[in-house]
Amino acid sequence: MGSFGAMRVILTTVITGLLIPFSSAAPQQLSTTPPVQILGFADINYVETDRDIDEGFFLGQLVGHVSAGLSERVTLFNEVSVTARPDRYRIEVERLFLRYDFSDWLKVSGGRYHTPISYWNTAFHHGLWLQTTARRPEMIKFGTKLQPVHFVGLQIEGAFPTTPLGLAYAAGVGNGRAEDIGRAGDSGDVNNHRAWLVNVFSRPLAIPYLRIGAAAYGDRATTDDDIEFDETIVSFHAVWLREDPEVAVEYARIAHEPRSDGETFDSDAYYVQVAYRLPGRGSPFKPYVRFEEVDVPDDDPLFAPFDLDYEGVVAGLRIDFTTLAALKVEYRSEEFETNERFGSLYVQASLAFGQTGGTVPAMESVTGVRP
Amino acid sequence: MKSWRPRWPKRCMLLAVLSLAALLWTGSAFAQTSGAIAIVTHPDTRVDDVTFLELRKIFLGEQQFWSDRTRVILLVRAPVAYERDVVLNRIYQMREAQFRQYWVAKVFRAEVSSGPKIVYSTDMARQLLAALPGAVAFVAARDVSPEMKVLRINGKLPGDSDYPLQ
Repeated sequence: MGSFGAMRVILTTVITGLLIPFSSAAPQQLSTTPPVQILGFADINYVETDRDIDEGFFLGQLVGHVSAGLSERVTLFNEVSVTARPDRYRIEVERLFLRYDFSDWLKVSGGRYHTPISYWNTAFHHGLWLQTTARRPEMIKFGTKLQPVHFVGLQIEGAFPTTPLGLAYAAGVGNGRAEDIGRAGDSGDVNNHRAWLVNVFSRPLAIPYLRIGAAAYGDRATTDDDIEFDETIVSFHAVWLREDPEVAVEYARIAHEPRSDGETFDSDAYYVQVAYRLPGRGSPFKPYVRFEEVDVPDDDPLFAPFDLDYEGVVAGLRIDFTTLAALKVEYRSEEFETNERFGSLYVQASLAFGQTGGTVPAMESVTGVRP
Repeated sequence: MKSWRPRWPKRCMLLAVLSLAALLWTGSAFAQTSGAIAIVTHPDTRVDDVTFLELRKIFLGEQQFWSDRTRVILLVRAPVAYERDVVLNRIYQMREAQFRQYWVAKVFRAEVSSGPKIVYSTDMARQLLAALPGAVAFVAARDVSPEMKVLRINGKLPGDSDYPLQ
């Protein structure tokens, strides 16, 4: 059998292996195994800007999310995005991990994640409908070089939800940044030095809408001319998880310390976002404002080529015209590396979809009858 | 000569029957829209008493395991049921749309493996409670049957004064 035949056998085995759990789980409606659930997100955008970039209509991302229980305690999570590019559509596996839930306080998983060193990164993923604003903060935007948005490796996490502090944690070890430092090491660790992360946050029982937390991340990063740096990221967040008002604050410091002697470079980034869902008949409307800044030393060898300095003010209005769809109209005043300020208008329609009938797929009746 | 008999006794009887029917109908309608809600579990669940805050964490999908590490399986009545209105109002403190949005976000964030299972009647809840270890549901207190285990909330049972889901 040639290499093509061997490949076909492997592929068939893998695909069959993936399908068997679904096909065998489907008829077992009275099982304690979590059912397969599919959610989708999409966004359509219109942009007018002073910046020297393309304007007009943009298809954003079409995002599919599947969670599939393979047994009562084992679940596969998968998020795939399709993004419109000038010459093609790019398909990307954003998240793919298999998790074993021992208990509330210990869940072990392996795969590709959104790095849990930023609140925003794990609260909204690629579901733009979930987030109040049209776009992510600059410090954690998709494709940023500033912080690793994705993480490939192993993770343990857990929560103690009924303790007074309502503590939760996550810790992981993985590949760290790829050669392109804006990407995760999907196909191995480029410098054979694993990255690590720790994340702790609290949701106190007595103040149920407050979440405060901190995270740390360490890796070894390499410049194009093979200079190695120890990278340490420390971040903090405080969030008020209501909409009247909604408040989110995040800060991150990214330190690059050369492996050989030399100066350490510290970059800082933060955002402060406030929104308020209007009461009564105005409840579909949520005005919001965000201040944000990214400050990177000009001589940081790892970041300097990417012109990451940024300062922005965002003001907008979110209109939830139906349960799972929203229109966002957003004005952005932004200053980039050149110290020149630009104005932009973003209009975005974003939505989530699952099954029709007023319930999410998670709520499919155990009888198999959809409401 | 044509005998004359007064018609009023017949009319009175008809009126009385209609009134009684109306009373019974309104009474049953009232029974559907009032009364305490009991939190019931699979009989083997090793929990007897929870605080109201713990109950919220369970129904919000934040506490996903019982103390014996059995997975919590939430059974939630379909929209329109009176019991659902009470639970959304008191436990979730959400409107219907917010409830739906909450679970879309929760599932998407991988914070839960699945959302609540929908049940369409008390009978269905009763059958599933018996069949699924770890299941927890809410039913009108008058519909509690012997095979259901009723949880105390803050030490109170349905009917006690200060029971939170009256």
